[in-house]
Amino acid sequence: MNADTRFRVNTPAVTHEVIDGEAVIINLVTGNYYSLQGEGAEIWSLLAGGLALGAVVDQMTQSYEGDSSAIGNNVLELASQLQQEQLILTGTEIEVPAVADLERRHTNGNGKQSFRAAVLHKFTDMQELLILDPIHEVDAAGWPHKKTS
Amino acid sequence: MAAQEDVLTRPQPLATMNAQPTDVLSSVANDGRPLAFFHEMHQVFQFAAASSGTVDRYYRLGGYVVRLSFAGDALLPVFCSALSHLATASAQPDLTICLWDSGSTGVRRPAVPWREHYAVRGEVEGYNTERIYTVFDHESFGLSMLDSARNLAVLWAADTERIPYWIKGAPLRTILHWWMGGRGKQLVHSAAVGTSAGGVLLVGKGGSGKSTAALASLEAGLLYAGDDYVIVSDDPRPCAFSLYNSAKVAPDRLAAFPGLAAYIDNAERLDAEKALLFIRGAHAKQLSAGFPLSAVLVPRVTGLRNTIIRKAPRAASLAALAPSTIFGHPRGGEAEFRFLAKLVKRLPAYVLECGTDLTQIPQAITDLLSGKSA
Repeated sequence: MNADTRFRVNTPAVTHEVIDGEAVIINLVTGNYYSLQGEGAEIWSLLAGGLALGAVVDQMTQSYEGDSSAIGNNVLELASQLQQEQLILTGTEIEVPAVADLERRHTNGNGKQSFRAAVLHKFTDMQELLILDPIHEVDAAGWPHKKTS
Repeated sequence: MAAQEDVLTRPQPLATMNAQPTDVLSSVANDGRPLAFFHEMHQVFQFAAASSGTVDRYYRLGGYVVRLSFAGDALLPVFCSALSHLATASAQPDLTICLWDSGSTGVRRPAVPWREHYAVRGEVEGYNTERIYTVFDHESFGLSMLDSARNLAVLWAADTERIPYWIKGAPLRTILHWWMGGRGKQLVHSAAVGTSAGGVLLVGKGGSGKSTAALASLEAGLLYAGDDYVIVSDDPRPCAFSLYNSAKVAPDRLAAFPGLAAYIDNAERLDAEKALLFIRGAHAKQLSAGFPLSAVLVPRVTGLRNTIIRKAPRAASLAALAPSTIFGHPRGGEAEFRFLAKLVKRLPAYVLECGTDLTQIPQAITDLLSGKSA
């Protein structure tokens, strides 16, 4: 992962929506879901939009007051977490949106605010609904049964 | 049990595809195996119905006429109680669901043509296409299929004993979810209460306080469309439609609702099950077919006395509504998420901090709906 690294959302496994500055992200395969607020949602939008990592750092540094290396580290840390959770994938064949469009969308027009570190909130409580494999076995006729053990 | 279930007892093998309507022929190339197995299931249902007698029931669900066609009458108490408030006279159905069980009819389901091809929500891999839906129901150990092109579904259950009590409270959820999704409507994991002028969705996972808030509202005189699953649409404006007149309550919460005690369906099994109530007997006049929606509320049980409603980001209502709706339904995914995101963007969101004085919950909701608060 370097400044030129670009990502794409891991579709179709992952679906997401940003509403009123908060991102809701669902991994349809694992059952885990996530939320990102404020700066986290902004970083998500920029990464999901295909902006290179370095450009995301630049964008956040320009938009917010704060130590630029701390902002950079937070962006890198979040990108790494998102990758670990398989919400974004690196890729070269990405349709990159015009940076100007992203800047217009995410630049704070009312002066700079202090940067609040992005925190990825993860929820795993839906996994109980995805329980077929652990509790069933399939008989010779192809029909599932509860495991006896 | 396995050997018994998998031995085929049915009429002659599947009729040739030439006997099918033109619309079926047109997609056989893509849907071949799933469609063939659907026909086989339907044919075996017809055999069971011919030998045990057909019993039809009609319901108006989300504005559509749905016919339940049973082979024999053993499954009626399981599948009809929760829908009884929406019963209607026989009419041309928009959807027909054929149901049979092997226990009472003696007619076994066809042997399944797949092996170990189950996805995590029971979807049978290779037997789900744009047209055909197939799921093994791991709750009842039954099988549900929908042919969306013919608005025809088949549900098989081994016997009534294997169907858990909560299915009686929310029957046919998977088939209705699939079918409604093709019509701009969506089953959602939510309660809905309100007035004829408007209502609210109460969203959140089990234990969040949905049922408590819904039942407290019911006892206070508000309209009730459901406590766990309702149908919603957003065209032309967000609306909730009732689906089930049931409610599930943890036994230790029953004392809070003394007026409902007489309507518990499973009173003798409360050591192992939540109480299943059918509201139709208790508050028939408050059972609403549906109402327009004014807000989404995310309940939280606080343990404090007072109930408070406060504004919340709409993303909070999406996070409370979407995961349990999507993962609670086989084949749930991107389409459902997009629908729900669009819906919550049109409705203000609030956190309903539910206090221990339950009378305050409906009052807070009423105040919100009348514009007196928040």
